[in-house]
Amino acid sequence: MTQAQRLQQPVIEVDNLVTHYGERRILNDVSLTIQQGEIMVIMGGSGSGKSTLLRHLMALERATSGSIRLLGRELSGLSQQELYKLCRKIGVSFQGGALFSSMTVIENIILPLREHTELDRMTMEVMARMKLQVVDLAPFENLMPSQLSGGMIKRAAIARAIIMDPALLFFDEPSAGLDPVVSSALDELILELRDAMQMTIVVVTHELDSAFKIADRITVLDKGEILTVGTVDEVRNSSNERIQNLLNRRFEAEELNPDEYLRRLMGQV
Amino acid sequence: MATPEEQGSPAHLLESLGRGATRFVDAFGFGAHLFFESFYWFVMGRRVGQRVRSAPIFSQMMVIGVNAIPIVSMLSVAIGVTLSMQGINSLEQFGAQHQVIFMVALSVTREFGPLITGILVAGRSGSALAARISTMVISQEIDALKVMGINPVRYIVVPSLVGMMIVLPSLTLWSIGVSLAGSALYVAPRIGTTVGAYLTQVNASIDVDDLAHGLTKSLIFAVLITIVSVIDGISVKGGAEGVGRVTTSAVVHGISAIVLTDMIFVFMTTG
Repeated sequence: MTQAQRLQQPVIEVDNLVTHYGERRILNDVSLTIQQGEIMVIMGGSGSGKSTLLRHLMALERATSGSIRLLGRELSGLSQQELYKLCRKIGVSFQGGALFSSMTVIENIILPLREHTELDRMTMEVMARMKLQVVDLAPFENLMPSQLSGGMIKRAAIARAIIMDPALLFFDEPSAGLDPVVSSALDELILELRDAMQMTIVVVTHELDSAFKIADRITVLDKGEILTVGTVDEVRNSSNERIQNLLNRRFEAEELNPDEYLRRLMGQV
Repeated sequence: MATPEEQGSPAHLLESLGRGATRFVDAFGFGAHLFFESFYWFVMGRRVGQRVRSAPIFSQMMVIGVNAIPIVSMLSVAIGVTLSMQGINSLEQFGAQHQVIFMVALSVTREFGPLITGILVAGRSGSALAARISTMVISQEIDALKVMGINPVRYIVVPSLVGMMIVLPSLTLWSIGVSLAGSALYVAPRIGTTVGAYLTQVNASIDVDDLAHGLTKSLIFAVLITIVSVIDGISVKGGAEGVGRVTTSAVVHGISAIVLTDMIFVFMTTG
């Protein structure tokens, strides 16, 4: 498939998404389209709303308004059963791995197959071992998650995320808590997955180096709003001051309204 | 938000009371929803591709029930003997010590068997369930289940609930038996009768209704322990400290729910 053909098929379409946490607005009118086979990196500082956006894309939260279409299906219009069916085409690698601590690595990887297919045990194990090979964890299938290092946990989580051969793969902070070498190996793995399996990949990260290495396009979020969506070069060369602050790791002092500051000090906000 | 000078004022107390009441109604409604949702998955799961497996149910039965047999037996014998000692001591004053069998048989079957087993299981397994669920919430394992298309209620709550509903009445029955056996060993020599005659007397003292009363209560306790533990488990906030807090509250809430429901049940069935 050529790049042009890929771009014709949106896998994720977010329109005017507004979300709140209690009374606080987290995402403000976010619109975004992600094409098939693309690696989209969602970037932003702490509190920018990037993790919230990811939770909404994974259908873990309900939006205040706006719409999200995943693989052509409108999330808010789906029944619970339809949503569960759709989830089988989605893989997620959580920040801390979210491996089930009471199961071995291979049991963790097999779980989606065991729950959603009628395959026999032997076939499931063979499939799991193939995925373990992809993430280079083959000798560790019988270890418990507590016996794995941080990088190994992430790789095991990726093996579990791709066991159903999903069309769409989400990564939440893949590099968080890893040393630069392991983190770089993980970036290579993400690129390999896209090239070998033609998956659409969404990565939420605040690691600039990692983002620039893997992204086809980057979405920069700040204070719940999209600052820009563009290729690596477009983002790098952006003239927007807030984007440059983020890229150059410059702290952006919050502008305070004196009245609001006083109210906050009094505990009235 | 209340400022310091408002703390302790009538308005503040009223506000706390109102918030407490809302939280209770909220938890009660959520608990009822959880129970019916569990029932739905248990019955309909297979049809909608979310099958409830038997292996986790058996494993829960093993953990909740079989592993609890030694401690349940020990406490039940102690309760049976204690009741007998108190009974003989009081009834002797009226020269009615033979009536102790009737008293012990009824109170163990209708009250102490279900209550002591319920409290024990709430402490042992309710806390374990709350700890397990809260750890899963914190490490995003619940989110992971959802995005894998696996309903967490079906996968975690149903096996625990079904296991508990099978095991708690069985344990209660065992507890009643062991308790009465312990009582027989103590009472028979004290009132100059045989263990066999004691058991015959027990058989004459209690009927099916008494046993049904005790076992029905244990079934209700099973639901209460599971649902309360699940609600406490998923309400976890913070890290490891939060897990400790919800584990403690699961025990306190579980035992409170058992004791209060027991009183209401007895009032409604005997009043």
